[in-house]
This record gives sequence, structure tokens and C-alpha cells, in this order.
Amino acid sequence: MKTPAGGQLSLWKPSRRWSGPGLIVVVLAFAIVFPQQIAQDNIWNLFFLMSLGITMGQSWNMLGGFAGQTSLGHAGFFGIGALVTRTLWLHGTPFILALVVGGVATATFAMIIGAPTFRLRGAYFAIGTLAVAEVLRITVAQNRPFISTMPGDMIASYSLPARYWVALALAVVTTGAAYLLLRSRWSLGILGVREDEEAAQASGVHVLRHKLLALALSALFMGLAGGVFAFKQISYYPEAPFLPTFTFEAMMIAYIGGVGTVAGPVIGGAFFVFVRERLAANLTDVHQVIFGVLFILVVLIFPGGLLEIWERLRRLATRRQQGGPRASGPSPEEEGL
Amino acid sequence: MLLKLEEVSKAFKGLMAVHAVSAEVHEGEILGLIGPNGAGKTTLFNLITGVYPPTEGRVFFEEKDITKVAPHARCWMGIARTFQLVRPFPELSVLDNAAMGRVYGRDPIKSRSRAETACLESLEIVGLTGRASEKAKSLTLVDRKRLELARALAAKPKLLLLDELLAGLNPSEVLTSMQLIKSIRDMGITIIMVEHLVKAVFGVADRIVVLNAGELIAEGTPAEVSSDQNVIDAYLGKSLRV
Ligand SMILES: Nc1ncnc2c1ncn2[C@@H]1O[C@H](COP(=O)(O)OP(=O)(O)O)[C@@H](O)[C@H]1O
Ligand SMILES: [Mg+2]
Repeated sequence: MKTPAGGQLSLWKPSRRWSGPGLIVVVLAFAIVFPQQIAQDNIWNLFFLMSLGITMGQSWNMLGGFAGQTSLGHAGFFGIGALVTRTLWLHGTPFILALVVGGVATATFAMIIGAPTFRLRGAYFAIGTLAVAEVLRITVAQNRPFISTMPGDMIASYSLPARYWVALALAVVTTGAAYLLLRSRWSLGILGVREDEEAAQASGVHVLRHKLLALALSALFMGLAGGVFAFKQISYYPEAPFLPTFTFEAMMIAYIGGVGTVAGPVIGGAFFVFVRERLAANLTDVHQVIFGVLFILVVLIFPGGLLEIWERLRRLATRRQQGGPRASGPSPEEEGL
Repeated sequence: MLLKLEEVSKAFKGLMAVHAVSAEVHEGEILGLIGPNGAGKTTLFNLITGVYPPTEGRVFFEEKDITKVAPHARCWMGIARTFQLVRPFPELSVLDNAAMGRVYGRDPIKSRSRAETACLESLEIVGLTGRASEKAKSLTLVDRKRLELARALAAKPKLLLLDELLAGLNPSEVLTSMQLIKSIRDMGITIIMVEHLVKAVFGVADRIVVLNAGELIAEGTPAEVSSDQNVIDAYLGKSLRV
């Protein structure tokens, strides 16, 4: 007989083989040891950006992937987190405290705009969030027109590895939070809202409450990502973290990796940033075309992203080798073989 | 009395889908709701579950006026339903579909793992226990209907609304489903069922209500309703004569 635990796993189907404790240890060990071994600025930098990308992808995925609410305004959250954290930090607040306040401020802002924005559905919601983020960006650009630069003593003691460790820790915490969220009872309502709002409501799900929960968590982590950005950049225009690029990157990472899963944004974040940084170094604009094509491929052909592509290849390979299905998954396709 | 409709009407841009319907549903009964296509049966279900407010009139559940209560809160009070066009959560497992009802319905279980164990009972009732870990979208139409029923049952309803549960089933499936509906009533759950298979409804329902063009045109036992001239003219004459 199938046990309840078996059923719970099925929700995890795409990611469970990836989220095995062994693999997590290997990936984390690599993320910790490798940059120290190489000990070069460009590697610290690459790994920092990958970690930040993972966090952004996880954040977008909590709202867009789990709750099914496609946001085009995540740059607004990134920007608020960056603005609050940077301001407090440069005025003498310990960084970690400034970061937490920045994250909480972002989540609070999201709660305030959430209720009215969630009156919009589907494409209107997406456009509404884009509008909010753009209004924020323009407001910040007008009121904070000057470049923000770290004071000299900070620059003198600047340590790139310290930035990476903070970013890595945040990526780990965010991924852990996504995992816990998906295992919680709250995720049932959140996924139910994504699947069919009216049916969820008929089953007793308070739709707005669950959308707001997904939004609050999503905004919190995007705000924290913005705070880490503010911690890393020596100087930038306060408007910069509000740029729509951050929204699209977060969304692409979630989709390319595997939207609606926990492992997806991890794979997507590492892959996306790696390709962007490598290709950006050589062929300036080609990476945008590549991501565009990849994104369309994912949306049209592989809605499960890289995770799904990998699963299919692996299944194909094991089938070739063993001439039969692996004994693990009770998925319909595998059962049917 | 479990449910009372007081002169409820629902207009869609001038079209009176439901017009001044008053009815009562008694605890423990199976009430059959019949009428031609477009008579307003599904709309009446939507008014009972709160999908939209009535244009006029009031809805009482256990003597409380619930006219303005939101759908999710009506589920908490004990009103659950299935949809005419099945709507399980396609990407979720069968177990999670059912657990939805147990986690959020009436008398909810706050721990997910305990709710999952508890809702196995509902899956058992509809015969889906063996498919708990499959995605809902991989089920056949019949099984998706069963799953919706399990999800509704997992919400521990006092009143269960079934919208054409038997439509699309083959004769033997209709028979087992009729038995199932009776056994659900025997568990103490009051049922309103919308059904086009007149023979089937008349076989299980204690009372029948007939809607035509948004209006309630007859009410009574299956025997009374089937000999009512209005009903024969409006509905039975055109479809299956009993
Ligand atoms: N959401 C809606 N908007 C506009 N018209 C509707 C809506 N729902 C139902 N109707 C109309 O109301 C009438 C009753 O529909 P319905 O309640 O679905 O009938 P039944 O379930 O008895 O077949 C039909 O004419 C239908 O077209
Ligand atoms: Mg109908």
C-alpha cells in the first residue's frame, strides 16, 4: 500500500533525487572548498553571483512557481532591500542587522501593496507588479540621483570572500526555506491556489491569505538578496538594483532550472550565472540570445526546465543500459513501461 | 433544518439564472435537484457555496444567515461540493488533493502528516487508496470525479453538493456511485445532487426539487414529482420518462 509519506514524496518527484542529503553535502562542500582552493577574485565573484542568482530564483519561485502568481516586479523588492540595507549600513548599523531590517522592510512593503495588487489576476497581476516596481525605480532615481559609494576605510578593508560567504549563507537559508515551505501544510493551500483558485476556495483555502504568505516570503528573500547586493557593490546608482533586469533574471533562473521545484532555482541559478559570466566575457551579447532561446524552449517544450531535461536524459540512459525502468519512481510513465 | 434558501435570485446581465427560489434541505436527506440544461442548477449550487452573492434573497445554514459569508468560510462551516466539470488539482498528487480538504475544511487537522493519514479514509471510500501518489492529471475522468468526491469528503462536510457526479459514467459505474452516495448519506452527511439521469436520482433521492428557467416548479417525493404535469411538460416529457 502507498503510504502517506509516499504521497508526500510525489510532490517532490522532480527534485527528490537531487535533494538527497549526499548530493547536498557534495554541492555545499564544493561551494565552500573550491573558491578557497582557486582563491582568485574572478572565482569569488562568479560564486557570489551564482549564490545571489540562486536566492533570487528561489524567491521568484515561491510566488511564481508555488503560488502561480507571475510577478514582473521583483526588482522592486530587490531594490528596497538594497536601499534600506545600504542606507542603514553606511550610517553605522552593523551589516547583519541592516540586512535583516532591509528584508523585513521589503516583506512589509509587499504586504501593503499585496492586497490591492492581488485583486488583479494573471497578466494583469504581472503588469501591475511591473508598474509598482517601475514607479519605485523612477522615484528612487529622482530622489537619490547620486552614486552611492562606500567610504574609504570600508574600501580599504574590503574582502570579497566575506561577500561570498554571506551570499552563500543566504542561498542556503533561502533554499532551506523553500524546502520547508513545500513540506508544510501551508504549501497545500499555496499550490491549490496555483492549480485552481475556485476549487481551492471550495476546499476551505483562504486564497488571499495564502497568496500573501507566498508573497511575504518571496519579498523577504528578494529583499535580503538586494541587501547582499548592497553589501558587495563598492559604488552604484541607488536606482540600479530597481532595474527590471533583476526581475527577469530571477524569473529566468526559476524557469530554466525548473519552476515550482526546490532544486530548479539552484540548478538554474548556477547555470544561468555561469553561462552569462563566461559568455559575457567573450561574446558580449550572445548570452542574451541564448537565454531568450532557452527560455522559449523551456516554456514551450520542457516546462520542467533543466531538471526535466536531465530527468528525461537520465531515464533514457538507464533504460538503454538496463533495458528496463529503474525500480525507484512510481510515476505513471515509468509504471507504464 | 440544515439549509434554507429564502427567495434567492441571481441575474447575469439581465438574464435571470435563478429566480426567487425558496427551498429547505433537511438534515440527513438526499435531495435531488433536476431540471433542463440552463435551468440554473449549477448557479444555485454557486449561491449555496458562495461563489457569488445572490442578487436578491438570503441563504441560511444551520439557522445562520450565510448570505455574505465567503466560500472558504462556508467550507469551514461544513458545506462542500464537487464541480460539474471536474476540477481536481492536476499537478498535485491524489493524496495531496484529498489532504487539501482535511487540512482546510471543517474541523481541520493542522499537522500535514496527520491530515494525510486521516484523509486516506476518504480515498478508501472512493476506492483511490492505491493511487495516492499519482498526480491527479494522470487519472481517468471517472477517477478524477472520485477524487473530487474524496476531497470534498475529507473536508468533513455536513452538506455535500454533487453537481452531475454521474454524468459520463458507464451504467455499472453509475450503480456503484449510487450505492456510494447512499453510504455517504448513511455516514450522516446531507446531500444535494444535481443529476440528469432521472432514473438514478429518483432511485436514491428522498425528495426532488425541479428547476425550470430559474424557477422552482415542483417539489416532493420522487413519486409526487414524476406525476406532476408541470414537470412532465417542462422536463420529463422531453427527456426520460420515469
Ligand atoms: N457566470 C455566468 N455568467 C453569465 N451567465 C451565466 C453564468 N453562469 C450561468 N449562466 C447562465 O445562467 C443560466 C443557468 O446556468 P446553469 O446554472 O449553469 O444551468 P444548469 O446547471 O441548470 O444547466 C444559463 O443560461 C447560463 O448560460
Ligand atoms: Mg450545471
